[in-house]
Amino acid sequence: MNLRILLSSLQPVGGSVLTNGVVVAIVILLHIQIATYITGSSTLAIVSEAISMARKDERHGRLAYMMVKSQVQIFAFGSATAILFVLFLLTGLWAIFWTALQQITFWVMVFEAAFFLVEIVLLYSIYANWERLGNHRRARLGMMVLLNITLWWQMFLIDVVASFMLTPNAGDVSILNQILNPTALPLTIHRTIGNLAWAGAVIAVIGAFNYLRLTRHSRVPTPDAPAGLRPLRSIGAMAVGHLETEAKRAEILHWEWVAQWGVIWAVALSLLQPWVGYSYAKEIQLHAYGAWYTLMFGSLSNVFLIQIFLLGMIFILGSLFFWRRMVRSGAPGAGRQLALMVALILLTLLAIQPAWFAGSYADAVAAGGNHPWWQGGLLNPIGNFIPFKVAALIGMVIFGLWSVTSYATALSRGHIVPGGSSRGAQRTALILGVTVSLMMMVMGVLREHSRQPYTINGEITLHQQITNNAPSSSSVDQGQP
Amino acid sequence: MIVSRWLTRPFKARMRGSAAWFEDRTGATELLHKGLYEAVPKKGGWAYALGSATLALILLQLFSGIFLLLDYVPSVTDAFTSLDYLRTSDGFGAWVRGLHLWGSYTLIFVIGLHMVRTFLSASYKRPRELNWVTGALLFFLVLGLAITGAMLPWDQAAYWTTVVVTNIPHYLPFIGDGIRTLWRGGEFVGPITLTRTFAIHIWVLPFLMFSLIGAHLYLLRRHGEFGAWVNYSTDPNEDEEKQIGERIRRAEPPYPTKRIARRYSAPRETVPFFPDQLIKDVVMSAVLIAVIFVMGLISGAPLDEPSNPATLSYVPTPEWFFLPLDQFLVVAPTNPLIAIGVFGVLGIGAALMIFLPFIDRSPERRPLRRPEVIIPALFMAFTVIVFAILGISRLYNL
Ligand code: HEM
Repeated sequence: MNLRILLSSLQPVGGSVLTNGVVVAIVILLHIQIATYITGSSTLAIVSEAISMARKDERHGRLAYMMVKSQVQIFAFGSATAILFVLFLLTGLWAIFWTALQQITFWVMVFEAAFFLVEIVLLYSIYANWERLGNHRRARLGMMVLLNITLWWQMFLIDVVASFMLTPNAGDVSILNQILNPTALPLTIHRTIGNLAWAGAVIAVIGAFNYLRLTRHSRVPTPDAPAGLRPLRSIGAMAVGHLETEAKRAEILHWEWVAQWGVIWAVALSLLQPWVGYSYAKEIQLHAYGAWYTLMFGSLSNVFLIQIFLLGMIFILGSLFFWRRMVRSGAPGAGRQLALMVALILLTLLAIQPAWFAGSYADAVAAGGNHPWWQGGLLNPIGNFIPFKVAALIGMVIFGLWSVTSYATALSRGHIVPGGSSRGAQRTALILGVTVSLMMMVMGVLREHSRQPYTINGEITLHQQITNNAPSSSSVDQGQP
Repeated sequence: MIVSRWLTRPFKARMRGSAAWFEDRTGATELLHKGLYEAVPKKGGWAYALGSATLALILLQLFSGIFLLLDYVPSVTDAFTSLDYLRTSDGFGAWVRGLHLWGSYTLIFVIGLHMVRTFLSASYKRPRELNWVTGALLFFLVLGLAITGAMLPWDQAAYWTTVVVTNIPHYLPFIGDGIRTLWRGGEFVGPITLTRTFAIHIWVLPFLMFSLIGAHLYLLRRHGEFGAWVNYSTDPNEDEEKQIGERIRRAEPPYPTKRIARRYSAPRETVPFFPDQLIKDVVMSAVLIAVIFVMGLISGAPLDEPSNPATLSYVPTPEWFFLPLDQFLVVAPTNPLIAIGVFGVLGIGAALMIFLPFIDRSPERRPLRRPEVIIPALFMAFTVIVFAILGISRLYNL
């Protein structure tokens, strides 16, 4: 074909539901999991390195190195998914939308890309010279801080783009309005905290996995059944046995500690998310009412419940982990931890009550069920946001905070016996990690789908048509239950 | 007779004699000596200068406040005009207004730092619980002064702040409306509201404040400055009990502090308040005051349009230190939730803060050994900071 003809007829590459939706989603979700880990763990690595320097704590030094190493291992893969996403999927399949967005957020994107260069230089220099810089730990720490700053800025810039797509400030594209669009800062804070929680969760998984791996085949002969073998459940018991070497015991202790450190970060940081997420939702309500309505009352309202369920599970699993470790160690306060876990379960049950037994509020109304279930309707007033879910969320935060604090107190008072973990506690940490990961994916789905039928809210539709509709006009008038 | 004898003596002797006479009657020198030569912990002196900096800034507020009083007229018709006069026609008027405003900002910042430092060092523990309680009350008084002060110019910002703030008590069940009426001097904001707020700002709150400062400083002197854990370490290579015993034997007044774990009853090393600590206090206060003078000159204090109760479009924006609170109100959307939010959550928060010494009763002093208070405090601090940032973002996009 003649090049000129080709150029004049340029259209987005024709795709199917599979390519345009699912493949894009998979690639971007994968990218997010990797990028958030790198960004969050870069902060945690600084924390550990600093502690290791200040208190000569070898465990922290080792953990910091492990995190840097893991960043190096996945950095290329994470960047490759970003390139695949931007260069091929968006440019090919979403050409009109993507070109428009590129033009609007040009400078933001340019800096976004430029940060990759700085990061590559810094990350690989830190890693390659880790040993050599061991004699100049302050310099090494300084480089880690620089890396962290660039990673944070990169996240902030992509948040500007992502939030601008949801709340484009009535189409005002001045650079300041892009950067300070109504959801830019809420999203950034939400993600900054989320990165740390996710990095904590990954570390917890790594620790727990290694712990389970190292203790899998451990068998200690019990005195009463010399021929039989009893599965080893704790290091304390193991000490009686003779099958484990000192080195392996030290390894197990280390990974047990790593898992605990990760769980504390994952749970403690997640405690802030209800506040921040709530404020974020408030801005969406004020500036992108249609999207907010879809999330809270429309087709995504039930997906949102899954989100809240996963949030509750993070606190419950955290509490379960703490409780198991406290019980095993005979720490005072274990009973209280159990009570806190029960309270968290009850509060989560309250928080995930559906407000209607239908796809959306509109569906419930359409089916003639606009009254409470005890009157034969489809509505469930116990699932109303105000006051029940607000109360449940506040309760979850307070009890979650209590749960972390009481574990940390037991730890600082020396009530948690190192090596006293059960394998069950470590499995809990594994599940916790998976929960956080799931939550991030559900969040991604929610965010991307809430804008529908737009890619840039109110400006460009999913069919890549430029519109002038106000974004909120579509579903504003449906009222609230 | 006495006068002629006094006049005929040599100058030096005359001065010495006068001083002795004055000392005899007042005990001033002895008092000064007592005030200056007291032992304070050696390590961390700059952090302990925050308390006296707070005091210095309060005195500066008193000073600039007196100058404002010379011109300000507390009436709805003249308040704005009198400040406008100060701004445009009086040589130093604008600067004095700037001093009072930037003084208040700096004061809030510094009192916050002082609180954070005494919190981190667990200075509030036995027997200094009441140092903390009086301090916490002082903190709320300072906030009260800031908010009532913001109402006095009676420009648009002040008027709408008054409308919003005097309405807050109304969310209290049962007595709320009564308090609102009492403050406003009627159902609505009017002339009496300004007079009452003025009285609260220049008389009620300062009176309470200076009484409490007196108590705070008396208690400080009674128990001695605790300082921080860095002053109480022991050498791990030697017998701990022996070291502590030795330290207590050699302690200078006001140490050893009574009713306290022996370990923390006397610092390892002390220095005299004068000159060692005082020089730090003076430097810190002087730098802060210099900053206030410069900011007051450069930036001054804003004055809006005269108040106009008829405007509907005016959106009052809170002062920076109330931004977190404002954002808190934004996320508490309905009336019952505002009541629960403001009086429930914040009330409980304030009570926990005031009674902190009676909640955190472990003998531990190092922050890392007190996760039971440090973690919740970090959580609160994060919440406040995050709410402030979100508040800024929201105001930008109004
Ligand atoms: C008008 C406000 C205040 C003034 C003028 C003031 C003044 C002072 C001064 C001069 C000191 C001794 C020096 C130092 O340790 O910094 C001090 C100590 C102390 N202040 Fe304040 N303060 C005020 C507010 C507060 C607040 C808001 C709190 C906490 C809620 C507080 C709690 C304490 C405590 C616990 C000490 C004892 C510190 C120790 O012994 O280590 N004060 N204050």
